[in-house]
Amino acid sequence: MMAQAGTAAKDAASLRKSSWKRTALIWLSRYGTIVGLLLMVVFFSANAPGIFLSRANFLNILSQASLTAIIASGLTYTLVVGEFDLSIGYVASFVGLIVTGLMAYQGFPIWLSIVCALLLGAAIGAFNGVLVTKVRINAVISTLGVGTMLTGIGFTYSSFPIATGIPRAFTDIALGRLVFGLPNPVIIMVIVLIALWVILNKTDIGQKMQAVGGNLEAARLSGIRVDRIKIFSFATAGFCAALTGTLLSSLLGSGTLAAADGYLLDAFAAVFLGSATLREGEFHISGTLIGVLILAVGFNGLSIFGAPTHFQPIFKGGILVLAVGMSALARRYAASA
Amino acid sequence: MPSAASVGPWMRIRGLTKSFAGELALDHADLDIERGKVHGLVGANGAGKSTLIRCLAGVTVADEGSVTIAGEDLQKGSPRASEQAGLAFIHQELNLIPHFNALQNILLGAPKVTRFGMIDWRRSGVAARAAAERVGIRFPLETKVSELSVAQRWLVMISKALVRDASMIAMDEPTASLSGPESEQLFAIIRDLSTQGVAILYVSHRLEEVLQLCDRITVLRDGRIVDAAERGALNKKGLVRAIIGHDMRPPDERDRFATDRSQQPIFSVRDIAWKSAVKGVSFDLYQGEVLALGGLVGAGRTELAHLMAGVTRPDAGHFELDGKRLDIANEAQAVRAGIALVPEERRSQGVMLQQSVAFNINISTLKKLRAIPGLPFVSDKKARRQAEGLVARLGIKTPSVEAKIGGLSGGNQQKALIGRWLNAGTKLLILDEPSRGVDVGAREEIHDAIRALARSGVGILAISSDVEELTLLADRVLVMREGRITGELTGADITEARIIELSYHDSNDEEGDIA
Repeated sequence: MMAQAGTAAKDAASLRKSSWKRTALIWLSRYGTIVGLLLMVVFFSANAPGIFLSRANFLNILSQASLTAIIASGLTYTLVVGEFDLSIGYVASFVGLIVTGLMAYQGFPIWLSIVCALLLGAAIGAFNGVLVTKVRINAVISTLGVGTMLTGIGFTYSSFPIATGIPRAFTDIALGRLVFGLPNPVIIMVIVLIALWVILNKTDIGQKMQAVGGNLEAARLSGIRVDRIKIFSFATAGFCAALTGTLLSSLLGSGTLAAADGYLLDAFAAVFLGSATLREGEFHISGTLIGVLILAVGFNGLSIFGAPTHFQPIFKGGILVLAVGMSALARRYAASA
Repeated sequence: MPSAASVGPWMRIRGLTKSFAGELALDHADLDIERGKVHGLVGANGAGKSTLIRCLAGVTVADEGSVTIAGEDLQKGSPRASEQAGLAFIHQELNLIPHFNALQNILLGAPKVTRFGMIDWRRSGVAARAAAERVGIRFPLETKVSELSVAQRWLVMISKALVRDASMIAMDEPTASLSGPESEQLFAIIRDLSTQGVAILYVSHRLEEVLQLCDRITVLRDGRIVDAAERGALNKKGLVRAIIGHDMRPPDERDRFATDRSQQPIFSVRDIAWKSAVKGVSFDLYQGEVLALGGLVGAGRTELAHLMAGVTRPDAGHFELDGKRLDIANEAQAVRAGIALVPEERRSQGVMLQQSVAFNINISTLKKLRAIPGLPFVSDKKARRQAEGLVARLGIKTPSVEAKIGGLSGGNQQKALIGRWLNAGTKLLILDEPSRGVDVGAREEIHDAIRALARSGVGILAISSDVEELTLLADRVLVMREGRITGELTGADITEARIIELSYHDSNDEEGDIA
């Protein structure tokens, strides 16, 4: 009997402790990313006030963040509907190559090259969507397959970087500062993020996307054409990837094979960091922006403090695992609470 | 304390409590289970039976309380610990791997004899064959499970439990898809196991069965154990009273709507067939009536509802809406034609748990909520106004329309799902198990809402396995059995006895035995 009373007391104590832990974990999973971002800013500002805490450096961080933010918010759309897109990095590289090629080889005017490039990205995305919804290939497989094919097609199109024959006006797009002295990519990022946020939160299609991601069967029974919604999400991801690829080519002044492949992991890290922000385990645009900023501020700080470049992948990979872990924990606790 | 073990019951459940999203699913349940006895566990849907079983199985972690087996505490939330303690669970879905044969399934997860690192199926099979013999399996164990009947699969599951030396086997609705003779054979096996010292925890809605088979019956209501009695101390009437908390009310005949068959039906089903589940079903649904579809689980009712709502396409036959032939290719087309389904599985097919009440109500009428017609922007104001209107109309209890629907009780979630269709131009609303997992009070409110909808001109088809619900709700009842409509009841003929009679197999059915 006494033994039983003892265990009961121990159980109650562990229950109290675990509920305290749970509250802390949920809090951490909601605000942890924002707190982490602020802590990084405070730490870098205190330790490198002259370098980190300057207008020039902040603009630098923002323009670095802008390309990642654009591609990552497109990726957010596919995750909102419960899918996945591993092709975005390859799409960005491929389109970045094609957009320069259209100018250099085909002699297209800049605006037409860009329009073609963005439409091409959206079309590749839509194709991914069709493979996933109509042919019903798992998204991981189909997008990886399509992305891998694009690498090869890109190589067939041009086996060496396209650096000559690109008009100066094209490189000026990414390097220029048309509004308030802000780099153009930052302005473009702001426009894209606002547009995607409005579509996701304020329109029919956005509500339907959230419904599809929230409960596929329920969405279907509500009369939502689930396949179309998913294809739209993939097309948006493709469009955003193409925009990032185009801006990167403009920034580099050349179309280079595999130039944007690395954005894949950055985008995933950002989106999953974002999913652990404010809303537990849900993907949303503002979260993605915070995720992107964490990565950009982190990279910036690492380079200011002279960390060797190979620290960047450690930071990036580590933060991805941390983010996914936090997101998973948050979801589990949200479900059991 | 070994001394306690020899004196007390084999399994002792004390104060077991579990809540989900603030709702108590299990409220300080105490239960003793003895080896060699058949324990019946009954209660309405949502009474806590499955939560209790899930806690025992270690799939759900109880918030409070303890389970002691032969004097030892059962570790919480560990399916492995539960298995090692000798507990086996057979759920309705029968967790078997279809493309494995019976032998592989019986031995799944059990230690096997290996030779040079490879499984020696012949020698491993010895124990499995002995178990199969105990339950009277006569088909070869090399048969693939996908080729076995449901009854034969049950035997495989029981053998699987026996191979693991289970001291207790919990069975969830074992006879739900068995024929009369098959059920009888299962009962014989259960009695046999019980005399061999196995404890049986038998969960069923079929009260006659429970009264006939079980040594002791425990009744759960709203998560609490409200009655426990030895065989003979309870009769069906007492059992029903314990389950629903009051005597069964005779339905008020004045409320029954007399169907007017002279007018054109709202919806007609003509010779609809689909696979082996629906075998040529025809009926008409008229304005003003609540038409209900009764029958046992597996009779083909949900499949029929899915065909009507465009989830699946019929192999043969057609539908008519307002006298016009209708071809439904998918759910979206059904919804646009005005046919909506409130599904059986509220959580997995109905609500978007992470979203607000307003979101869940408005999702099927987004076009009507646009700020400016023609532009795809949803007006927050219109959305809130519509949601608030429906919340008030249906009496949905929620702190606000912005609250997450996951925090609401099952009954209020269900009302929200009905609300989803009230402004959507719905002509035919199909409700599959409208009050499953809903408490009695909410059930009445849901019934009132359904009746009001029917009287306002919306065609209503309600599907229910709950015979009492059919007598309370329906103006006309069609009973399905094995994919066919076996009878129609109207007015004073709508009684539990008549429905049950039409639902069950006749005793002189062609079915043979199961093995």
